[in-house]
Amino acid sequence: MTVFSALLSHYRRHPLQLLALALMIVLATMLWTGVSHLTDHARASLAQSERAIAGQQQLVREDGQALSVQDFAYLRRQGLCVMPWLEVQRPPPEGRVIGVDPFASACFGTEAPGQAGVDALNGTPFLDIAEAKAMVRQGSDGALSLLVPVDVEADAVPADYRLKDFSMGPATGELGESFLLNLDALGVLVLLITALLVRSVYQLGLVQRRESFALLGRFGVPAARVQVLLLIEMVVLTSVCVIPGIWLGRLLAEMLGGSFGQVLESLFDAPLYAVGGDGFVLPALVMVTVVLLACFADRWLLRRLPWISGRQSVLWFGVPALGLGLAMVAWPFTLGWLYVGIALVFVAVGLLTPRVLSFVAQWRAEGAGAITLWQRRELAVLFRRLALPVVALQFAVAMVLAIQALVTTFEDTFERWLGQRLEAEFYVEVPEQSAAADGVRYLAGLSGLGDWHLVQRGKTHVVPEMAGDDAATSVEVDLFSISPIGPLVTGWTLLDATPDAWEKLAAGQGVMVNEQLARRQGYQPGDPIGFVLGEQTLALPVVGVYADYGRPDGEILVAGKILPETFNTRFQSLSLNPGTLAMAEIEQGLATVWNIDQLTVRDNGSIRSLASGVFDQTFLITRAITVLTLVLAGTSLLVMGWVFFTTRARYYRLLFVWGLSRREAAGQLRWLAMCLTGAVAVAALPLGVWLTWTLVSRINPLAFGWSLPMAVYPGFWLEMLVLCLVIGLAIAVLMRRQLGAGVAAPVVANVSGGGER
Amino acid sequence: MTCCFQPLRWGLMALVLGLTACSETPESAGFAGLAEQVDEDVFAQPAPGHRLRFPEDFGPHPRHRIEWWYLTANLTTEQGEPLGLQWTQFRQALEARDPGEPEPEPDSWPLDAAWMAHAAVSFQGQHWFSEKLARGGIGQAGATAEPFEVWLDDWHMRVEGDGRWRLQVSGDGWSYDLRVTIEGEPVAHGDDGFSPKSASGEGSMYFSLVDLAIEGEVTLDGETFGVSGQGWFDREWSSQFLKAGQQGWDWFALHLESGDKLMMFRLREAGGDFLSGTWVTPEREVIPLGADTMTLEVVEHRDTAEGNIPAQWHIRIPGRQADFNVMAPQGQYWNDGLFPYWESPVSVTGSHQGEGYMELTGY
Amino acid sequence: MVASLLTARGLNKQFRSGNQPVSVFRNLSLQLDRGESLALTGRSGSGKSTLLNILCGLEQPDTGSVQVLDEVFEGNNTDRQTEARWANLRRQQIGVVFQEANLMPALSLLDNVRLRAGLAGQNEDDCRDWLERLRIGELAGRFPDQVSGGQRQRAALAMVFAMNPALILADEPTGSLDRHTAEDVTGQLFDLQSRHGCGLILATHDAELATRCSHHLDLGHLPET
Repeated sequence: MTVFSALLSHYRRHPLQLLALALMIVLATMLWTGVSHLTDHARASLAQSERAIAGQQQLVREDGQALSVQDFAYLRRQGLCVMPWLEVQRPPPEGRVIGVDPFASACFGTEAPGQAGVDALNGTPFLDIAEAKAMVRQGSDGALSLLVPVDVEADAVPADYRLKDFSMGPATGELGESFLLNLDALGVLVLLITALLVRSVYQLGLVQRRESFALLGRFGVPAARVQVLLLIEMVVLTSVCVIPGIWLGRLLAEMLGGSFGQVLESLFDAPLYAVGGDGFVLPALVMVTVVLLACFADRWLLRRLPWISGRQSVLWFGVPALGLGLAMVAWPFTLGWLYVGIALVFVAVGLLTPRVLSFVAQWRAEGAGAITLWQRRELAVLFRRLALPVVALQFAVAMVLAIQALVTTFEDTFERWLGQRLEAEFYVEVPEQSAAADGVRYLAGLSGLGDWHLVQRGKTHVVPEMAGDDAATSVEVDLFSISPIGPLVTGWTLLDATPDAWEKLAAGQGVMVNEQLARRQGYQPGDPIGFVLGEQTLALPVVGVYADYGRPDGEILVAGKILPETFNTRFQSLSLNPGTLAMAEIEQGLATVWNIDQLTVRDNGSIRSLASGVFDQTFLITRAITVLTLVLAGTSLLVMGWVFFTTRARYYRLLFVWGLSRREAAGQLRWLAMCLTGAVAVAALPLGVWLTWTLVSRINPLAFGWSLPMAVYPGFWLEMLVLCLVIGLAIAVLMRRQLGAGVAAPVVANVSGGGER
Repeated sequence: MTCCFQPLRWGLMALVLGLTACSETPESAGFAGLAEQVDEDVFAQPAPGHRLRFPEDFGPHPRHRIEWWYLTANLTTEQGEPLGLQWTQFRQALEARDPGEPEPEPDSWPLDAAWMAHAAVSFQGQHWFSEKLARGGIGQAGATAEPFEVWLDDWHMRVEGDGRWRLQVSGDGWSYDLRVTIEGEPVAHGDDGFSPKSASGEGSMYFSLVDLAIEGEVTLDGETFGVSGQGWFDREWSSQFLKAGQQGWDWFALHLESGDKLMMFRLREAGGDFLSGTWVTPEREVIPLGADTMTLEVVEHRDTAEGNIPAQWHIRIPGRQADFNVMAPQGQYWNDGLFPYWESPVSVTGSHQGEGYMELTGY
Repeated sequence: MVASLLTARGLNKQFRSGNQPVSVFRNLSLQLDRGESLALTGRSGSGKSTLLNILCGLEQPDTGSVQVLDEVFEGNNTDRQTEARWANLRRQQIGVVFQEANLMPALSLLDNVRLRAGLAGQNEDDCRDWLERLRIGELAGRFPDQVSGGQRQRAALAMVFAMNPALILADEPTGSLDRHTAEDVTGQLFDLQSRHGCGLILATHDAELATRCSHHLDLGHLPET
């Protein structure tokens, strides 16, 4: 019998242990592969879609009329590379689709005309423009844009047309990137949790094999040789297990990928989620590395930094690391800095949590009665001995808490943002060259029309009143005017306001500012604000601050009546609820008044339901992944807890021998197990809240320049606590069966396991 | 000329079908059965007895599946250097339409036809090529018989006030602007315009203008050359693609110094090639040439970036006392678009001297 | 009539080995009074531990009765009430010492003794005295893994005596100790047992040790098929 087979014989006697280790590696690989697969593909697809429409500009008519196929043909015959882009709003789940002309996009390909361009635009959400046009004819909303490459100069543009930036929609890039960043963070956390789980199973195996190692030592096998053999054993085991793990991860990703692809497609106009292609090598290497690091890194570390093995050194390292990490996150300079800070906090929390919990249990034990003393001492042992799965579960719960808070906050913000932006059912662009006043007059004359108002947007300069030289210090902000001020806006959330704020605004006796501007310039209700309107400078009091939900630019809201004739309006639209009238009728009327063929009308109701639907889908996946991680970590603690309890079964049986009834003894175990998992939930709470705060208030602002409001959800905390207690209960039930099954006979004690304190 | 049966079939068709999200892909059974697959009810078929009509046949044939307008020119710069150029515009119908039927509304972005244009200049051993694509039916590309105009984007060939044609084309870093004077009547190939393309009788309608006087400017990399010379214009339409077993084409249009003109093509196929041609005398007598009246042999191959192509040929037409070599100048003349093929000026030496154009596909 | 400390009558116990019933003992009866000691000897597997388990209610005989003090247990009865009566006896009257693992590893020696005494309803203040009397008073604050095997067994004895039991069941209590230490520990066991006048049943392989008991029961034969 070789030394290797002697080592392996352990698993022949304990096949369940081998199975647990293998299962943990398989599951962990699956989870990580799934997450990273999703993220990779989302990123690639997003990039592909961005490439396809990167840096575009569009041509619009000088007369403001809608573009048509005739404009396209005319411009092409002028020798311009123009591509039609017909965006059509479809009811969910289809979402937004884009009609393109593959022949026309051929001249867009930078390297190989007709190939790169065509491929990039091939597949959902792109379809042939004839089909898109047919949808429009059947009643879907559609708008035709004519894209030109970014290198087209203004002087190449025929008369009657001008260049304009072409953007895909509001800030989708940011939202997309933010989403992917969150997924990345999730991936890293999953990997970390994976490492902890694998290590815990491995360590358990080592404890149980201590005797075999001692025996081999007595037979003259050097310890180093045993180490090498263990290393080989782990490499082989991991290599075998990662393959099904990766395969399952792909399967998971593909299962989720269908809806995931749709989410990103609808949300970011990205043709998405081309599954497949990626090799097994990279994920396999990553997993093998993680497993080996998890199992063997400490040996290497111990050899070089022997001081870290001491009980005190955990504190010596952990406490300063925690402080440093928290400080780095509180005052971040760059994203990299921030990530290092987060990593430090996690390492420190991972090191300190078992100690702290153990300490708390011990501390509470002093001065208690004998049985209580035993309970708490035993609990302290459990915290220390199950440190790894405890920390893994803690991380998983913290992650779930953070993701849940983030998603709910996102959802809530998004909902309110939609409410503010899409206040009316329909939204009609006032064509350039047309007089908004004509439209206003027309609407004012309609009976049966619901609420409506005219929106005018432009730029203004805020003149900080303290500064003497106004030209030098004025700040450019967006100006947003509404007339009349009515029920469509008076329901907005005001963060702060003077009494009768809306009335004062409507009367032209005050302005409102958005959250960003108020924060940046320190405006409060009642403060005067000076700003330039056309050729005059106005000074009006701020009567309210309205929430802007992450909008990065400063904005002033004024009543339309104070806008002078000379004001340079950049954009005008009418927001309206048709009331008892038919929208088609109103559109027709406006088109007649403005003397144009085609109005740009947006149906806010459908956009809203579409957006909400998309949002739900997006975060369903995030939630699914976090819940899977939680299940994995929970299962792991369950298995580990059970195995550890089993090694201690002989001591728990003493409770019978000492005269506790079965029911009382089981109660003790239940108390122990539920305290263990309940404490994990409690310990996860501050970490989860901190992680939420970090994501919302630190990562997002640094990465994208805007921040979300921070919110906490105690109801969900309670759910997590209950979940953890259920895991504890499950351990206790398993344990009770274990104790009940065997005879409480005097055991032949084995000092190598279960006797820890 | 029949240059792009194959490219059209395997290029545009695939492109169009693929991009219109049609789930069916082109049959992958080689060229087999394509001639038989033409649906007589949908597309009109050229047949012996069909006659040419002018000026209508200068315009599009919406009942037919494929057609092209094609011009080659053997020009000389003011400095006396030879310069060859070519322009082709293809129409590939996806749906047949009777001439009486109204055209689809442009506003619906119809996709009843796809257009493709190729243009090339060959000068001093260099070759400039450009390709354009367009959807039919929206005005971006098209053709009209009267007044004569064929266009795609800003490339166009159209009749001007003085009755001359004007051809304007611009590629990346090069362009040309030519005026074309048409002398003589259209030459009908084959059986009064029906030109068979296989022994079993499939074919196309085909005529040429063989006496074109051309002048104008060619700009290459910023340098503009005044040019003048002679040209050849082809109109051909059909609804059939390559017949089963046919692998490619070798096509020649030659201006001989004797004043004779020769069009000759060979369809290469497994069971023996299909050879056909037309001899036009200085008096413009048109003599159809059958396979038994001439021979066409490869003299020399040339290694090129895209394959080994026959660059020198030997043509014998005993009935016309013709026995000469046809040779491409040094250089590579690939029209490197979606479907590459060889298109080069040639010189004639032997019993006759002359110049012309040669097109080789399927190599 | 004053009942004896322990009376067992007509005990039968079988195990199933495959389909074969294996009889551990048949129609076994014994009686023990306060101050008496009984040595159980026999080869491994002869049923010593099983008998001890039956005598403290951790296992049930197939048939027969056991009486401890004034509690009578008939046959194989595992109802909750019976279990509670046995648990109560073990908590207050029956001290059990195993070969090893008699102490909770998370508690110090002193805390272990306090726990056992507390469960038995005895004064926890005397616990340190018991450790002193077993000559391990200075180790009171140590944990089980910080002391030797002999010291652990002394602590186990301290735990048993701290509960002031009527009956002590010891299953090879010195089986894992060296001879010298074993003699020392058993010396203390007999000493305390005779001083307190409690009953002792000692399962042992050691014939010499068996001779120190007032009675001897040899289960020496292998179980009968």
